Amino acid sequence: MSISFSERLLGLISNVYEISAKSVSFWESFQPPEDISSNGHLIEWLFYYTTYVNLFWFALVVIGLFGFSFLYSQKRHKKPVYTHGNEKKHLFITAFIAVGVFLSVDLVITKVSSRDMKESFWNFDDSGDTVKVQVLAQQWAWNFRYAGADGEFNTADDVVTLNNMRVPMGKKIFIQMTSKDVIHAFYLPNARVKADAIPGRFSKLWFDANKAGEYEIACAEMCGTHHYLMKAQLTVLTQEDFASWVNESQSMAIATNDTEDVNLRWGWKWGSK
Amino acid sequence: MAFLEQHIHDEPKTFVSKYLISYDHKVIGKQFLFYGIFFLLVGGLMALLIRWTLAYPGVPFPVIGNLLFPHTGGVVPPDTYAMLFTMHGTIMIFFAITPILIGAFGNFCIPLMIGARDMIFPTLNMLSFWFSMASGALLLISLCLPLGAAAGGWTSYPTLSTTLGSPGAGQTLWLLSLFLFGASSTMGAVNYITTVITLRAPGMDYFKMPLTIWGIWLTSILNAIFVPVLGAGLILLTFDRVFGTTFFLAGAAATSGKGDPVLFQHVFWIFGHPEVYILILPAWGIVSDLLSFFSRKPAFGYKMTALSLTAITILSTVVYGHHMYTTQMSPLLTQSFMTLTMLISMPSAVFFANWLGTLWKGSIRFTSPMLFSLGVVFVFGLGGLTGLYLASTSIDLYLHDTYFVVGHFHYTMAASVLLGGFAGTYFWFPKMFGRMMDEKLAKIHFWATMIPLNGIFTGMMMMGWAGMHRRLYNPFIYEFTQNLIPLNKFVTYCAITMGLVQFIFLYNFFKTIFGKNIPQASSNPWEVGTLEWTIPSPAPHYNFKEIPHVKCGPHELGNPNLTDGKDFQYQTEELVKA
Repeated sequence: MSISFSERLLGLISNVYEISAKSVSFWESFQPPEDISSNGHLIEWLFYYTTYVNLFWFALVVIGLFGFSFLYSQKRHKKPVYTHGNEKKHLFITAFIAVGVFLSVDLVITKVSSRDMKESFWNFDDSGDTVKVQVLAQQWAWNFRYAGADGEFNTADDVVTLNNMRVPMGKKIFIQMTSKDVIHAFYLPNARVKADAIPGRFSKLWFDANKAGEYEIACAEMCGTHHYLMKAQLTVLTQEDFASWVNESQSMAIATNDTEDVNLRWGWKWGSK
Repeated sequence: MAFLEQHIHDEPKTFVSKYLISYDHKVIGKQFLFYGIFFLLVGGLMALLIRWTLAYPGVPFPVIGNLLFPHTGGVVPPDTYAMLFTMHGTIMIFFAITPILIGAFGNFCIPLMIGARDMIFPTLNMLSFWFSMASGALLLISLCLPLGAAAGGWTSYPTLSTTLGSPGAGQTLWLLSLFLFGASSTMGAVNYITTVITLRAPGMDYFKMPLTIWGIWLTSILNAIFVPVLGAGLILLTFDRVFGTTFFLAGAAATSGKGDPVLFQHVFWIFGHPEVYILILPAWGIVSDLLSFFSRKPAFGYKMTALSLTAITILSTVVYGHHMYTTQMSPLLTQSFMTLTMLISMPSAVFFANWLGTLWKGSIRFTSPMLFSLGVVFVFGLGGLTGLYLASTSIDLYLHDTYFVVGHFHYTMAASVLLGGFAGTYFWFPKMFGRMMDEKLAKIHFWATMIPLNGIFTGMMMMGWAGMHRRLYNPFIYEFTQNLIPLNKFVTYCAITMGLVQFIFLYNFFKTIFGKNIPQASSNPWEVGTLEWTIPSPAPHYNFKEIPHVKCGPHELGNPNLTDGKDFQYQTEELVKA
C-alpha cells in the first residue's frame, strides 16, 4: 500500500522540525534567548504590549478585508452603495480610528520607551561598586580591558582578554567601546542590548548579569567577510570567583606585560569623548 | 492656468527609432518594465542563494550550484555571500522596484491618466532610461571583477566601504553605478513633477487626479529632493576611495587625516528613509484606485487619502534617525526621531480606514488586479504595524540588526511593492500591449505567491525576535540560534516555492505579448472611467487625438442615477445627478 499524501506531508514537517522536537517545544524554539539582565524584561514588556495592540488593529483590518470581501462580493451584493465617504459621520469615524491609534500605540510606546531609556538604559551613573570594561572591536575579534588594581586604564597592570569577557554576577558592568577598523556592533542577546563600536568615536553601554554561566557576544553590524565569526564569550562568574580571577590576572599582567609594546596600549582614559 | 497642448509628430517607422531610442512615454515605460523584470530575476536568484546558505550552510546549491561556483563544488563561499546580499538589496531596490513602479508605471500612466500626449520633456525621459541602462551595465560588470562586486551591504557604511574594508574596484563601480542611477532618477522625477503640473487636461484639478498619479507625483517630489543627497554622499565616498580625501575615514583607515564615518550614515539615511516611501507611494496610489474600481463604488474619502499620502510624504523626510539609534546620537535627537516616526501611524490609519471604507458595501469583482490589491492591504498592514516595534528606542536596542528588521522591511518594501506592481501590471497590461493576460493563471499566481510570501517574512520576524542577527554566512555557529535551524529551512522552502511560482507570471506575460491567437483587448476591459480607458487598446500614437475635457472625478462608479446601462462614468462625462 502506498503512503497517503497527508502522511507524507506530516513526515516532511516532522523531518524539518526534528531538531526542535528533541530538545525544546515548537513554541519555545522561537523564544528569545534566556534573559540574564535586570532590564531585559522592560523590552519584553513593551514588545508584548505592542504585539497585543497590533493584534487588535490588525484583527480589525483582517475582519474588514475578509468580512467585506465575503459580504460584498459581486455575487452577494449586486448594487454597490454610492458614497464618496466624505460625509461628516465618515470623517468622524476615520478621525476616531486615527486618534485611537495615536492613543493606544504612539503615546504608550513613546512614553514607556522614553521612560525605560531615561531611567534604565541611558542611566550611565557608574559610581559605586561597578565594573568598568573597555572594548576594542576589530576585524574579527573583541578585545576587553580591565583597569586593574590602580583603577586607571591604559596602565601596566591592565588585564586584557581576547574574545572572552568575564564579569561578576549582580554588579553593573559599564562598557566603553570603539573600533580599530570598521564599524562593529556589540550585541548581548542575553541582556537584550547592543551598541555600535565606531572607529574614531566612543560608545557606551551598561548591563548586569544575574546568573552565572557562559553566554555569547555577537557582532551585529556587517563588518566584512568573516562578520559571522566575530563571536566572543561572556563568562558570568560569582563575585568571589571574579575577584580572585582579577587579582591573579593583574599580578600576572604586571609580571608579563611588555611596557614597551605599543600594541598593548590601546586603552584610553575612562570617559574620553 | 493656460493650457498647454503638445504637437503631434509623425510616428517613427524604423525598429530602432520605435523601440530603442524612442521618445514615446509608452515605449519608455515598457523599456523600464522589461529592465525591471530582468533585474527582478537576477535579484530573486540572489535571494534564493542567500536563503539556501542560511538553511544549509556549506551544502552545495542544488541544480545550478556547480555552474555558479565551480571552485567550491557549488557551495556559496563566505565572501560571495556578502557580495550576494549587498547586490540583492541594491538590485531589488534600485534596479527592480524603482524601474517597475516609478519608471514603468510613472511613464506609462502619468500622460495617459492626466490626459496628455506625452511627457513634458521627452528627450530627458529617453536620457533617463539610457542613464539607467548605463548604471545597470556598470553594476553587472562589477560582478565579473576578480575581487568581486561590492560586499559592504546595500547601505555601504564606511569605513567598511572605504579601501580599508573593500579594496576591490567593485565598490567604486557600485558607487558610480548608483550615482548614474541617481542622475536617471532625478531626471525622471523632474519630468514627472513638471508633467503633472503643466500637462493636466483642462478640468483635471489636483483633486480630480487618480490616486495613482498622486502616489507617483509625491514619489517624484521625494526623488527630486533626496536622490541628490544620496548622490552627494556617494561622490564624497568615491573621493575617499579614489582621491585620498578623508570625509568618512577614522581609525585604521585614517592615515592622513580624520573624518567621521557616522556622517555618511546621516547623509545616507536622509535619502534612505524617504526612499522607503519613494518605493511604496506608487503602490499605495495604485491600490487606492484599484480597490475603488473593482468595488464598483467611489474611493472612500478620496481627498483624505490624498492628503494623508501627502502628510506621510512630509513626515517621511524628518524621521530618518530611527535607522541610527545604535550609533548613539544625543538622547534628545533619538527621542525626537522616535516621536516623529510614531506620528506616521496616524495618516496610515486614515488611508487604511479609507481602503476598508471603499470595500464596505461595494460590489466586489475579484479580478486578478483586485486580488493583488487586497493582498497589499494585508501585507502592508503587517509590515506597517511591525514598524512600531522598531521605532521604539528601547525595543530597538534588542531588535536592531536582527532578522526582525529584515522581515519588517521586506513586508513593506518587498511584499507590498511587489504585489502592488503585479496589480498594476495585470491592470494596465491591456492598455500597454492591447491583449488580455490569462485571468486563471493570474489568480493561481496570486495565491501561490501570497502563501509562501507570508511564510518567508513572518518566519524572518520570528527569527529576529529569537535574536538571530543579520548578514551571517552561517548563523548556527552561535549557541542561541540552534533552535532556529528548522525555521530557517522552512523559510528557505517557502522562498524557493515563491521563486518558482513567478515563472507562472513570466509565462503568462510573455505568452500574451508574443503568442499567437491571443484575443485582443477591448478599449475598456475593466469598465472604469479614467482617461486612459477612453482611448483604444493599445494606446495609440500620441494617446489623445483631441485633448479630453475632464468633468468629474476618477472614481465615479455605481452612481444610481446612471441610465445608460453602464455602472461607471468616464471622466470626460458630466457627473450625473438625480
